[in-house]
Amino acid sequence: MAGAVTSIRVVIADDDPDIRALVAIAVRKAGFELVAETIDGTSAWESIQATQPDLVVLDVSMPGMTGLEVTTLIRAEQSLAGLRVALLSAGVDDTSRQTGMDVGADVYLTKPFSPRDLALRLGELMS
Amino acid sequence: MTIARAITRLLNVETPSPSLKHAPTTIAFAAAVVIVVAVPGVDFTSTIAAFAGIWAIALSTGLAAFFSWMPALRHLAILVPCIDLLALGAFRAGTGGTSSLFASLILLPVVWIAAERGRKFIIVAGVGVSIALMMPYILGFNQIETTSDWLRGVISPVIFAIAAAIINEMARQSRLQVARVRALAEERDIMLKGAVDYTERLRENEERLRLADQLTRSVLDAVTEQSVIGSDVTGLIDVWNPGAQRMLGLAPNEAQGLRYVHEFHLASELDERSRELNYPPGETVLNMGFSALVESARLGTPEVRQWTYVRADGTTLSVEVAVTRRSDERGATLGYIFVATDVTQALEVSRLKDEFVGLISHELRTPLSSILGYLELMRDDDENPLSEEQVLYLGVAERNAHRLLRLVGDLLFTAQVGSSSFQLLTSPIDVGPIVRASLESARPVAAAAGVRISADILSDSLVIDGDAVRLGQAVDNLLSNAIKFTPRDGSVAIIVAESHGKAEIVVTDTGMGIPEDELDQLFARFFRASTATRAAVPGVGLGLTITKAIIVAHGGELDVASMVGVGTSFIVRLPLQGQAPLTA
Repeated sequence: MAGAVTSIRVVIADDDPDIRALVAIAVRKAGFELVAETIDGTSAWESIQATQPDLVVLDVSMPGMTGLEVTTLIRAEQSLAGLRVALLSAGVDDTSRQTGMDVGADVYLTKPFSPRDLALRLGELMS
Repeated sequence: MTIARAITRLLNVETPSPSLKHAPTTIAFAAAVVIVVAVPGVDFTSTIAAFAGIWAIALSTGLAAFFSWMPALRHLAILVPCIDLLALGAFRAGTGGTSSLFASLILLPVVWIAAERGRKFIIVAGVGVSIALMMPYILGFNQIETTSDWLRGVISPVIFAIAAAIINEMARQSRLQVARVRALAEERDIMLKGAVDYTERLRENEERLRLADQLTRSVLDAVTEQSVIGSDVTGLIDVWNPGAQRMLGLAPNEAQGLRYVHEFHLASELDERSRELNYPPGETVLNMGFSALVESARLGTPEVRQWTYVRADGTTLSVEVAVTRRSDERGATLGYIFVATDVTQALEVSRLKDEFVGLISHELRTPLSSILGYLELMRDDDENPLSEEQVLYLGVAERNAHRLLRLVGDLLFTAQVGSSSFQLLTSPIDVGPIVRASLESARPVAAAAGVRISADILSDSLVIDGDAVRLGQAVDNLLSNAIKFTPRDGSVAIIVAESHGKAEIVVTDTGMGIPEDELDQLFARFFRASTATRAAVPGVGLGLTITKAIIVAHGGELDVASMVGVGTSFIVRLPLQGQAPLTA
């Protein structure tokens, strides 16, 4: 799997270092290239603009800008039209999920998550 | 009291005693004796006869006194005038005989005799007079020589008898009148007594009413934290306590008789309630706003409901209003009473509590993500395989992390229900497959607990408008509870059927049961039955709260029947597709 998708470049953003590391492991398990790890929405947006990744995994609740706000900026930016967005949230209710999808996320993933399953879901998203 | 009345009372004229009736005869006779003794030319012609008369008068006077003193023998008092007649006859015979001056004295006892009750006394008077007048002839002082002598013994008694008849009749009439007057007087006395009693009762009732009114007013005035508003049947306000003044900003004289209750309610809430009650547009309902407020109370069920009051200055406050009907002793509606409690603070506390629970639950999921994620990484690390013992320890950690996760999920869900942010994603769903799926999920747990589990899906297609995930969660909860509370070798059965046009799911166990006095608290948050606590069955008391919330959100009902030591049945009833909710 790793050999087939090495060209996929990923930026991740989460204010919790443990979760961030866990997501990074899942990204690598999926065979993707991790180009940036950020700790808040603002730095995530800057990294996205700077690195032009193929996939961004955003925590919804972050200082600075939330994952929802970053997604909104991404969808408003023409040059990022092909960027896939995965939102990661502790909000498991249907309203939160619907809000995430409404702002333009491609997939809404809830915490807690299995790194194995996350890798599979990201793989499916980018296949 | 007049003098005449005083004399009348003293002499007892209405029912005179024999002595009183005899007094004129005694006095007149004494005067006659004085005249004979004192006046020259008027002499005793027969001392024996005259003194016999005096003696007889003395006897009759004594008898009159005796009969006056002995009322029981008063019916014999008629002897007194009869003796008087004989005495006067003898006295007349002794003072000149037929030429005596004192013949007219005979009239006095005749009046007494004639005035007695009964016609027979007319005859007695006539005979008595005849004897008295004939006394000089009987005693031999005079001789019957001419026809006129004979006639004197007949005509005079007849005249006296006629007079006696007249007196008798007058006395009778008089007695009748006296009786009538007495009856009227008694009647008047009774009426007067009745009037006095009635007045007294009226006064007592007035006093009682005044005290009751005072008590009611003091109670109403003492209620300052609740508004108490009374209205007539149209909603016009007639009671307005200090609590209402404080809560709504109007003095009693600004509200009573001038304002309607529904004017202090949020119009949109009244409209919504009217829609809930399916009021027709303005035809049969006089005032929809007011009717919406009092509908339940009008039908006889007091209602407690949350409303929003609008103060006089336009600001609003959340209140819980209890509405009850006022009625008279015949049950006719007089109006309504509205007792409102300000729940703004309580709602805010509840909201903050739910927000706090939601926040905590949310925040707990992030560390749980790390725990479970890294545990999985350890387990999946093929390069550094774990020992069997380590895998065992890891399993315990994972199981407890999942348990914590479920608890967090339940807390979060409960907070959503409390804050009304809980929504269903409904679509037409078949109940049977949902129950089957829950049953299959529960099988491993039941097997581990040594509990037999079975399902009877008696209706193939029971389609409802529902949220498959949430309904599955509710059935999972019921099955999980049933297994948890059933001892080894017990059984859990789930039956799905259509009953009375509704989808019915019944989960029955042979578990420890729930005490009857705890059944009504069973669906309260964090409540745990005493049997569960004693048996140390794990749990926090949220499962049934969540289950009930889900069922109610589906427009359904959740009932429970239980017997300690025998088992418990939970009965879920859901409206079929297109049907109205079962719960209001």
